[in-house]
Amino acid sequence: MLKTLVYLNADLASSIALRYACQLTHVIKMKLHTVHVEEPDHDGYAPGTGWVRRTWEDAMLKTGEFEIAQLIKAEKSSCPRLGPTKMLVGDRENEILREIQRESYDLFVEGSLHSFTPKKLYDKIHSRLYRHIPCPVIVVKNLVNLEKIALIVRDEVEYKKPVSMFLKIFSGAKLNLDLIYCKFQEPGKLSFKGQKDANGILNAIKKNLIEQDWHPEDCWTIQGAPEEIGDVLRDYGMVASLLHHSISKKSNWFQLLSHIPSPILIFWQ
Amino acid sequence: MRILVAVDQHPYSAHVVKDVAKLAGNTWADVTLVGVGPKMTYIGQPSNKAEKKHPLTKALRNYRRNFLDYFEKEESPYEKRACNYEFVEVKRGVWEELYICRGAMKDLKIVLRSGNPVKEILAQSQEDDSDLIAMGCYKSGDCQWEGAVNIPQKVANNAACSVLVIKKEKKIRKIACCLDQENISQKSIEMINQMVTLYQTELEIVGLTDGTALKPMVEKNLDAILKYYNARQIKAWIKLVDVASMASFISQEARRSMMALWMGEHSLLSKMFPRGKVDKLIRGSESSVLLLR
Repeated sequence: MLKTLVYLNADLASSIALRYACQLTHVIKMKLHTVHVEEPDHDGYAPGTGWVRRTWEDAMLKTGEFEIAQLIKAEKSSCPRLGPTKMLVGDRENEILREIQRESYDLFVEGSLHSFTPKKLYDKIHSRLYRHIPCPVIVVKNLVNLEKIALIVRDEVEYKKPVSMFLKIFSGAKLNLDLIYCKFQEPGKLSFKGQKDANGILNAIKKNLIEQDWHPEDCWTIQGAPEEIGDVLRDYGMVASLLHHSISKKSNWFQLLSHIPSPILIFWQ
Repeated sequence: MRILVAVDQHPYSAHVVKDVAKLAGNTWADVTLVGVGPKMTYIGQPSNKAEKKHPLTKALRNYRRNFLDYFEKEESPYEKRACNYEFVEVKRGVWEELYICRGAMKDLKIVLRSGNPVKEILAQSQEDDSDLIAMGCYKSGDCQWEGAVNIPQKVANNAACSVLVIKKEKKIRKIACCLDQENISQKSIEMINQMVTLYQTELEIVGLTDGTALKPMVEKNLDAILKYYNARQIKAWIKLVDVASMASFISQEARRSMMALWMGEHSLLSKMFPRGKVDKLIRGSESSVLLLR
């Protein structure tokens, strides 16, 4: 069973992420754990030491606990089996990282609303948390139905890694999968090619998946500008991709990921 | 709900009438079709030549027919019912056969006015206390009416109620609703709901941020609106846009989506598109525009 950590804040992004994660539990064998980190003031310093500090931290946690309890209560109908949320105090990224390492989670889920400008996603991908996170991450940008998911691939990527990571998460899942090869070109020339025109990588991944008893429903190639391809991929309940932390903001692959409004599953390269 | 449809005799107006008929079919709105033409003499008599010469009378009659044709006669709320003798209980146990003429359940008014088109359309909307003014325009160029300058723009600038400018023959793929204020009326949420149903399209709710985060009340509203639409099986997406990027977002999005903007008193959008500058938005947009007030 997949051990999944969902980060919660008292906001809309977390509420969407939680609802989405609960949907995931219906198709993947996973146990959800939730965590919230109450951050000290912006200067990062807690007042005093010993009893003073502990009292201060307790007071902070109580406030956070109440807000998260409200969030959980609101989502309880869609996620009845949710356990209590782990409350931590400190730097958000450090605490989550420590928690993931300590408990050896297989998957991390957090909400981040889809943004017109790519900066937000770029900052997230280059954050300390994501640079050191040992497991795949789902960034939930919108709440969508999880009927069909897409695994997107490109030329220069070694194909066995995304397949093995995909299988680790989705083994036994009841989902329809499309395998999509993305090729970038100038805007205004969006085109699609079906299975019979599939290239070597697409065929190799398909073969690899079939060997593991995963039969993609469709395999196709999309050619277009990142925003055009992103728009096409909105029909999927999740888009999975391999990604390197050092990806540049201007690269087509990053632009594509930032334009996809659906949740994205990132396997780290 | 009362909808005012401002028309002339050109094809984009015929297109709007069709769309409004569908909208009215969902909302059972009272509808006024208003045409503004040159100064007219008395045209009440069917034989009067002024009626035949007036460019709008024929068009308005056709629009009324087209509007009513959208509905099944038996089910139409706008259909005038025939007069019949019916037994009515006048006192307990006493029935009398009376000659009853039942009116239409909903009002469809056809009005012809003369004068300055913008002033007359606005005057009619005030007299009717309209919730929405709908009008069409040429898709190409900058959204004009035949033989007149900037009529949709001027109406949109000055109307007290919501305005829908429909560009002919543009398939609406998505409705992008921009939201940045704290008080969103149930009426305007319903209006968006109707537009989504009318055009069978997806909805994108756009939250305006100051570069870092949404205002807490706006975020709360987004959450409530999202839940409201999800409960009605309407696919709604959320997208955040920085105020600084709003202009480029609108120019990019307006190519393929109907833009719906909440122009409340405290809205940043009202500051970006104050009365007098809304025309820029309508001219620049390739798709239809809905201004919610």
